[in-house]
Amino acid sequence: MALEMRLPVARKPLSESLGRESKKHLVVPGDTITTDTGFMRGHGTYMGEEKLIASVAGSVERVNKLICVKALKTRYNGEVGDIVVGRITEVQQKRWKVETNSRLDSVLLLSSMNLPGGELRRRSAEDELAMRGFLQEGDLISAEVQAVFSDGAVSLHTRSLKYGKLGQGVLVQVSPSLVKRQKTHFHDLPCGASVILGNNGFIWVYPTPEHKEDDAGGFIANLEPVSLADREVISRLRNCIVSLATQRMMLYDTSILYCYEASLPHQIKDILKPEIMEEIVMETRQRLLEQEG
Amino acid sequence: MKETPMSNCERRFLLRAIEEKKRLDGRQTYDYRNIKISFGTDYGCCIVELGKTRVLGQVSCELVSPKLNRATEGILFFNLELSQMAAPAFEPGRQSDLLVKLNRLLERCLRNSKCIDTESLCVVAGEKVWQIRVDLHLLNHDGNIIDAASIAAIVALCHFRRPDVSVQGDEVTLYTLEERDPVPLSIHHMPICVSFAFFQQGTYLLVDPSEREERVMDGLLVIAMNKHREICTIQSSGGIMLLKDQVLRCSKIAGVKVVEITELIQKALENDQKVRKEGGKFGFAESMANQRITAFKMEKAPIDTSDVEEKAEEIISEAEPPSEVVSKPVLWTPGTAQIGEGIENSWGHLEDSEKEDEDEGGSDEAVILDGVKMDPGVEVSNIGSQDAPIVLSDSEEEEMIILEPDKNPKKIRTQTVSAAQVRAASKKPVKRRRKKRAAN
Repeated sequence: MALEMRLPVARKPLSESLGRESKKHLVVPGDTITTDTGFMRGHGTYMGEEKLIASVAGSVERVNKLICVKALKTRYNGEVGDIVVGRITEVQQKRWKVETNSRLDSVLLLSSMNLPGGELRRRSAEDELAMRGFLQEGDLISAEVQAVFSDGAVSLHTRSLKYGKLGQGVLVQVSPSLVKRQKTHFHDLPCGASVILGNNGFIWVYPTPEHKEDDAGGFIANLEPVSLADREVISRLRNCIVSLATQRMMLYDTSILYCYEASLPHQIKDILKPEIMEEIVMETRQRLLEQEG
Repeated sequence: MKETPMSNCERRFLLRAIEEKKRLDGRQTYDYRNIKISFGTDYGCCIVELGKTRVLGQVSCELVSPKLNRATEGILFFNLELSQMAAPAFEPGRQSDLLVKLNRLLERCLRNSKCIDTESLCVVAGEKVWQIRVDLHLLNHDGNIIDAASIAAIVALCHFRRPDVSVQGDEVTLYTLEERDPVPLSIHHMPICVSFAFFQQGTYLLVDPSEREERVMDGLLVIAMNKHREICTIQSSGGIMLLKDQVLRCSKIAGVKVVEITELIQKALENDQKVRKEGGKFGFAESMANQRITAFKMEKAPIDTSDVEEKAEEIISEAEPPSEVVSKPVLWTPGTAQIGEGIENSWGHLEDSEKEDEDEGGSDEAVILDGVKMDPGVEVSNIGSQDAPIVLSDSEEEEMIILEPDKNPKKIRTQTVSAAQVRAASKKPVKRRRKKRAAN
């Protein structure tokens, strides 16, 4: 068995490798952003003593007259319409509690769930008793945010066939601020795997199903063994996502795909080494810049 | 903060590994993690580390009036606290179930087993007794809190010394620590808890579960025993059905483990006793290793600089004042002058020049420093003065080859052979000069 040992090395600050000309305006809670009262205050700020003060630690973003502070590391704040990937923590009377990396556990009501065998059935007492048959503690689901309660808790629903219990795959947990908001979060990558980019920072990588199951509605777990080639693709994708997240790059289907292609010359386990990680992400960044400009 | 839920695959992985008799940290089924006991400077303060689980134990005492129905017995008070730094799930209001369970178990183990002689804690019957208070704080939670806590409690109690008290008739004298040495508590035996975790409805068992293993276990059996194989308390939780022979087997294993742990405790207590008696350093600062990553760091080598001043002064005093001869410039052509001879040209045949380097090593430096002596007369004294300062070369016998000014100063040293001849020729005059000096 070959062993590799590394000595601790001081980490290079990201700004060095990026070579950014304009430094981001970073603030911590309590910092004054501006004393100019002409600005509208956005998220992450509050008005105090004629000054605009930051309430979270992050970078200041300004859009015309709106100033907001985008937090660097944050729990997931739910917005209506977001796709999330969560894990069931509790089975309660008429609902499930789902852990979605937010401040409060999210709620999935039994009435918001797709029941097999038809849509518009009234939920009966037997359904309530059979809740554990659908989703147990520890299961992973993909869902959409239906509503946000006043205390910030999020109510989910799985009222479409593309949502539901997730079968075999790999979960990667990153910061919610790194997932780019896009039109669709379910991607079938050409490299042979599919990925669900949850807005809450949970990313699910799974083998592309050959045929779409229409009737099951996502509750029958597909437990067929996954082939080795598929598993390799999935592990490589997972390592790529981890390296992108470490280098604080935005995650969306194009960036993940470019990163995957940049990592092909390396072995899967080498991708996690710091030097190779930097190299791959640098290449990805370049390709993305070329593509834009 | 709520605990992050364990994923299904991690759970399955742990259970499968246990079925194959494998543990995450490589231990065997009946192996304990490393136990490390360190003592503080005060008597009765100790930290016990069971793997990464750390418990701090502190014993204190106070004179109080006894309980009404137990007028001749001292009071024991045990308290275990789960500090918020132990695990993210421990919050000021959140941990009640676990806390109550652990405290009850600890009390049963230590109080009901009568390991401490409470009668000896009585000072004046019905009026003054000692109240011994054992405070345990969990500093880090990595599984098996109860074992670590029970070890910490008993070690702290054995280590503790209470102030000496003497009763003469009606007069009670409480001696301070300076007046009389403090007295240890009288402890009959050392009860230690051993935990067994059960998996798959009692099919598999593990001793000393770590935090991950605790999360997936079905039930827990705790047996508190002392080294004389007396069971002090036994508790089964988690609702698993245990068979009689399973419990007996566990008690046998517990017996073996308790003997080992008791030995360890005795050794630690003896060591600490010895260190204190010999006047060595004791306390947490000594016993806790500095956990530092020292890669890319050179260890500072201590250099003794106490006699540097003296050495420097010696050298300065013995050295002769530097010669004040300034070499006169030699005018070759109008506009070209030469001062001194310069360094030996070392280009050319490398092998030869290497050989010559040995000869010339010291001499070159001497030449550079003092320049070429134009005046032979002055050269004599200079040679003499050159021997005394030992600054440049170690050996006094090193030949200092001084090139004669009447020899060709524009010597081109590429012809090193000829240069060697020149040197051979010039050696004679040098030696002549030395003899002259000796005569002087």
